[in-house]
Amino acid sequence: MTATFPNDEIRAKAQHYRLNAAEYELITKLLGHPPQGIEWALFSALWSEHCSYKSSKVHLRKFSYRNASVLESEGENAGVVDLGQGERIAFKMESHNHPSFIEPYQGAATGVGGILRDIFTMGARPIGLADFLCFGSPRADRMKSLVAGVVSGISGYGNCVGVPTVTGQTEFDAGYDQNILVNAMAVGLFREKDPMALSKAKGPGNWVVYVGAKTGKDGVHGASMASESFDESSDAKKPNVQIGDPFYEKLLIEACLEILEKNLVVAMQDMGAAGLTSSSFEMSSKGGVGMRMDLSEVPLRDASLTPEEILLSESQERMLLVCEPARFNEIQAVMSRWGLEAKKIGEIQAERRVTLLWRNEVLCDIDPDLLVENAPKHERPYQPWSSPRRQADPTPAVLKNTPLGVVFQQLVKDHRLGSKEWIYRQYDQRVGLRTARDARQSVAFLRLPDSGRGLAMAVGCRPSLMRMDARIGAFDAVFYPALQMALKGARALAVTDCLNFGNPEKPEIMTEFVTSVEAIAEAARLMDAPVISGNVSFYNETLGRGIPPTPATGLVGLRESVSRIPWDEFTEAGQVVYCLSSPLVRTFHRTAEVLGAEPAFSGDFSAEKAAMFVRSCRELASKDFFAGSKAVGAGGLAFTLARMTEQGHGFEAGEALSAMTTAELLEERLYEALVAVPAEKTADFEKAAGDFSNFLRCVKMGRTGGDKLDFGGGRAFSVKQLHGWREGAWTQAFGEM
Amino acid sequence: MKIGVTRFPGTNCDHDIWSFVEARGHQPRWLWHQDRFNPREIDAVLVPGGFSYGDYLRCGALAAKSPVMNDVRALAAAGKPVLGICNGFQILCESGLLPGVLVRNKSRRFIDEWAELQVEQPNPHFGRGHQTGARLRLPIAHGEGCFLTTAEEMKRLRGEGQIWLKYVNNPNGSLEDIAGVTNDKRNVAGLMPHPERALYDWMGGLDGGDFL
Repeated sequence: MTATFPNDEIRAKAQHYRLNAAEYELITKLLGHPPQGIEWALFSALWSEHCSYKSSKVHLRKFSYRNASVLESEGENAGVVDLGQGERIAFKMESHNHPSFIEPYQGAATGVGGILRDIFTMGARPIGLADFLCFGSPRADRMKSLVAGVVSGISGYGNCVGVPTVTGQTEFDAGYDQNILVNAMAVGLFREKDPMALSKAKGPGNWVVYVGAKTGKDGVHGASMASESFDESSDAKKPNVQIGDPFYEKLLIEACLEILEKNLVVAMQDMGAAGLTSSSFEMSSKGGVGMRMDLSEVPLRDASLTPEEILLSESQERMLLVCEPARFNEIQAVMSRWGLEAKKIGEIQAERRVTLLWRNEVLCDIDPDLLVENAPKHERPYQPWSSPRRQADPTPAVLKNTPLGVVFQQLVKDHRLGSKEWIYRQYDQRVGLRTARDARQSVAFLRLPDSGRGLAMAVGCRPSLMRMDARIGAFDAVFYPALQMALKGARALAVTDCLNFGNPEKPEIMTEFVTSVEAIAEAARLMDAPVISGNVSFYNETLGRGIPPTPATGLVGLRESVSRIPWDEFTEAGQVVYCLSSPLVRTFHRTAEVLGAEPAFSGDFSAEKAAMFVRSCRELASKDFFAGSKAVGAGGLAFTLARMTEQGHGFEAGEALSAMTTAELLEERLYEALVAVPAEKTADFEKAAGDFSNFLRCVKMGRTGGDKLDFGGGRAFSVKQLHGWREGAWTQAFGEM
Repeated sequence: MKIGVTRFPGTNCDHDIWSFVEARGHQPRWLWHQDRFNPREIDAVLVPGGFSYGDYLRCGALAAKSPVMNDVRALAAAGKPVLGICNGFQILCESGLLPGVLVRNKSRRFIDEWAELQVEQPNPHFGRGHQTGARLRLPIAHGEGCFLTTAEEMKRLRGEGQIWLKYVNNPNGSLEDIAGVTNDKRNVAGLMPHPERALYDWMGGLDGGDFL
């Protein structure tokens, strides 16, 4: 039976609060009366897709795999992994897509600010940032200013708070013309004595304390905005976008870490999406206690704010904490030393009710579980995955019987495969003195200060593979970054994700979503790298057109030291280059798109085989054979070799490579890797690789040296010219920005 | 040596400089922006980089007026060494301890890269092993590192040998490729590049160690 509204007035009201008729009925049932007053706003915020995960919750349970290194952090702001030797890390990835499209600088900046707060609210010091960005075609409306705005927003915020941005990925496709993606990942470090703070409110009589910036009108209804598709009126949503102040955030980081270190705090949470509403209701619900809070005590930037606006404001750089009354003065002293304010706005009560007051009048008195635990969980319709792009021969016609020269040049000069140096140059990559490998390498490494080990960071998801096949693409979102880490001798430890999709009410979108979740969960289990935190961003859709499915991932890994990490590039002449491979599927995805053909594949993807290949590569890397290593990615062997010559050392093909056709050189087979082995280690290496012959093939490709990239058969390119083309691709596409 | 490390709200290289000082075998001591210290108890001061006061007003301008800088000025006047790095350089210029100003990079964007430098005039306190003409590689990371001054003062800087370091490939539009300068007595020095970020092989270079 379809739910209906009792009358037009209520329908209009529900529409304003973005609640549908079924939700209205459920609210009425739960409350025992129709929603009134402030209750509308509370349900609107906490039952929004953004806060409640109502379309995804039933599927996110599939990420249940855990291992011994995952610390108890269920339902917390970020996942926590024990690295042993007294070191633990907290990490998470989050989207800020909708605000960034409306106002790119502030949208991206506050995306960084928000993810950092999720980390330091737990007591971990943020030590690294990564970003995953998807933009449209450079010719699309506003795209140049969106790119420039997002990058300077990330740079402006991250650089100022003093957390290095050490890795990332940037994609371009017309599918993002109307909905760009801005996903940020942060990693924080707990040293041996640092306590882990939780967000469970506890202890009747304890004080509820507001810390940080004053509340303004910015970001009111931000959470429900992020839970809706865009239409022609998106410009009118500008006031929903929050404004960030990284200077304030830096003070907040130092002050919060200090009060946590001094054990002055019972529980803490940042005021993120849906601001004070979500932090207070979630802290109460998790702790099984109540909160009595006087909204007229909240520090305001603008005295005209209504209680509803105070509850829903998403003003940045604010935290809510619970402390014992006797600790308040000490907290206040620390805050004021950092130039910040701490103010008591309420108390914990034993009964599980959130009581909100406004100038001594009770606005509402409600069980927080109704809003947090009883939010609707939709079982949206979806289909089992079928692979429409599987073909007997995936080779695009344009690559059959074609000389390499012209198509290779086209690939190297394309901005989608071109250098992203314009972006990374704007990020401070070394503040904190931990960076051993920066964003110019495929995997970033941060040196852990106490043990001297290397913490690896990489992001994943290749949207061109997702457009080809969501199941393969989602597997790859874990396996590819895990392979990149393995080739540097690091073991992937855990995964965070940011699942960006279109409208979940459409079965085809939901099918892609469920397929992706299941593939990521399986890959994570096979790699023994649990998915321990994440975020879902639905409704990335404008005027009915959704984005390509884009489940971005962030992986952290560990390496025994930061010395002798293999480089992405050849660093010396005379090294022998091998291709390690485990043939699963033949594909043309990125190459096909750049050449204007349809992405396609043949074969069956075996997640078990992929996992064994990654493990075997790591075993070999950990024996210190590789001076250089790189996973074969977009543009196949040919383009990956071109990338490897970027330090100026050329390459000369051996027999096997010389015999390859243009299509074979550009085919993006899953999985392959290129490794450069110093001449004196080749005998030992070949023997060791032989021990893994069940899981990988090892074929000699050629030798480093000279100033040319020579594929054999008269197919040679000047290394200098190739790099000039690749460096120039950005300016070709974007002009002088 | 007892080396004071200044901390302003927004300083973000403070811990980095602290560990730099320790790694070079000296004893670091925090100098909090609101507190005064006795210049006789400190042998030298390092002013770390970051975004003091969020770069509000003008980078370095508010920090230059904070209480701790009175004692830094007194320490400098007594001839003890003071080094400003990145935002620290900006603060020393704004304090009047160093000539010139640092403005927005010519590209108007933040720049992070490894820069090649040439020593113009070796400094007796910072980088003692340096010879004139020596080449160094250090990371830079700044949005406002373009050094400017008047033609008249430039002439004086050249004449007095106050030009300490130059970029080999000018990244930010600095006048005469200047990356670092000193005062006329050479005890106060400032540079935009970060020596503390080039101390070990794993950082990508070793040239920073000589600066302390």
